[in-house]
Amino acid sequence: MIRFDSVSKRYPEGREALIDISFAVAAGEMLFVTGHSGAGKTTLLKLIALIERPSHGTLEVHGRSLARMKHREIPRLRRDLGMVFQDHRLLMDRSVADNVALPLVIAGVPHEERGQRVRGALEKVGLVGRGKDAPSSLSTGEQQRVGIARAIVARPALIIADEPTGNLDPQLSEEIMQLFVKLRETGCTILIASHDLPLLKRMKQRVLVLDHGHLIDDVPASQVA
Amino acid sequence: MNMQDAMAKPVRHSRMAMWRRQHAWCLRDSLRQLARRPLGTALTIAVMGSALALPLAFYLLLVNVQHLATALGDSQSVSVFLKQNVDARGANELAGTLRARSDVGAVTVRTPQQGLGELAAMQGFGDAIRSLPENPLPFALLVEPRAGTDRVQVAAMVRAVRAMPGVDLVQDNGQWRARLDALVALGRRVTLLLAVLLGTAAVLVIGNTVRLDIRSRADEIAVQQLIGASAAFVRRPYLYEGAWYGLAAGIVAVLLVLLLEAVLAVPVRDLVASYAGRLHFGGLPWVTLVIALAVAVALGWCGAWIASSRYLARLGNSG
Ligand SMILES: Nc1ncnc2c1ncn2[C@@H]1O[C@H](COP(=O)(O)OP(=O)(O)OP(=O)(O)O)[C@@H](O)[C@H]1O
Ligand SMILES: [Mg+2]
Repeated sequence: MIRFDSVSKRYPEGREALIDISFAVAAGEMLFVTGHSGAGKTTLLKLIALIERPSHGTLEVHGRSLARMKHREIPRLRRDLGMVFQDHRLLMDRSVADNVALPLVIAGVPHEERGQRVRGALEKVGLVGRGKDAPSSLSTGEQQRVGIARAIVARPALIIADEPTGNLDPQLSEEIMQLFVKLRETGCTILIASHDLPLLKRMKQRVLVLDHGHLIDDVPASQVA
Repeated sequence: MNMQDAMAKPVRHSRMAMWRRQHAWCLRDSLRQLARRPLGTALTIAVMGSALALPLAFYLLLVNVQHLATALGDSQSVSVFLKQNVDARGANELAGTLRARSDVGAVTVRTPQQGLGELAAMQGFGDAIRSLPENPLPFALLVEPRAGTDRVQVAAMVRAVRAMPGVDLVQDNGQWRARLDALVALGRRVTLLLAVLLGTAAVLVIGNTVRLDIRSRADEIAVQQLIGASAAFVRRPYLYEGAWYGLAAGIVAVLLVLLLEAVLAVPVRDLVASYAGRLHFGGLPWVTLVIALAVAVALGWCGAWIASSRYLARLGNSG
């Protein structure tokens, strides 16, 4: 599903955020990326969505090589991808339901089906009945969950989430993680960036550890303790 | 269908249906954006509407001057005023000479009494004429060139008549018509120039409005692109926005011109009455108004297209 091959990323006027990263993720796998702040977690996710292009190396997503992907092919790639952003990226001047519906609008899903799917997604993140509210009237944790609902609403085969539980209390974090586990049971591949070590230990899933842009460890699920 | 089923079904639909639904959404979205700042929207529409009304108003005037020209000068007649000392017999003899010419069709003799009667019938001349001690008007001949003669031949005929004994003054009415035609041609150019200039202005005004709108919504565009919106999708609401502006401005322009027609109708009706039905004031035909509307929509779309092209080109370079 995802394959990194000696990938490096240097920002235009910065030091290298990722250095010679290689790993592969099979379809249907769930794994975490962890590391200190500034280790390169967000950068790694951005490469997968082609928000940034790699400076060196090749990477593949869905069997498509991203290194030379044309600009106009990027929307297709992103439509097959559910993304949860560290800063949620909600449209503050639109209702919660409109935010969640946006991927469906872009995909051209009929109006009635849209409503149904949005309700379903809001139900999953525990925000039933908040559809008409403005995102600004929600707590940070609730906004984060709207972002998750938007990422899962179109049933993408791959979900990448950047600190999806960053602003949630332990119990909500647990619920959100269980939601990801359930999604994974439907065949979804899930990649989550998180520095919440206790949570990683409880989840017992494969973990990639980044340190100053280097991939220093790739711990299989069986060895997470 | 329960929630689980709805969630489990993958998103896949026919391209056509998908496209139609995206358009419906963008159409609503663009209207929403316009309604969000009613004052700015109204102002832009008013400016663009007035700009478009001006060439339409010019066109309206032009069309009616053209009517006037047709009504006044469709004859190429030449008026020949004879010297004071020529009497009825002399006038008839001269009329006979003229009728014999190959380039002359009909000749009518007008007596001084007929001329005075016509003058008296005109508004304001009655009193002045009654106070005259004697009839100051000479005999006159109204010469119609033979059908098919052109301006050059008529001019030659006028020169010949001018040289005849007993002829005092020759007035070529056709020349008047030629001048009016030249004036109408000039008016047509001015109208066209105005339409092009103000049409360009309209494109720029809308382009700028849409550009500002795109800039103020840069965050939203970024999010849309992050979750897979194509460039065409991102652009569409703005194109519709431009088209709405164009449509609204077109309607304003058409209403202004209809208002102008209504205001002009009364004085022109009086003028028409004095010409005994030979002249009629016409509003612009509805086809012209519909075309004007369509052009306005196209201009709005065009302005939005230019503005969004530039923005998306910048995105293309940075992304
Ligand atoms: N747009 C950018 N331009 C320049 N440098 C950047 C940019 N984004 C990130 N960096 C740098 O790249 C490095 C990795 O950043 P990244 O955001 O991937 O870290 P992170 O692991 O997600 O950190 P955090 O846990 O704080 O979110 C950092 O040194 C950062 O300063
Ligand atoms: Mg980060």
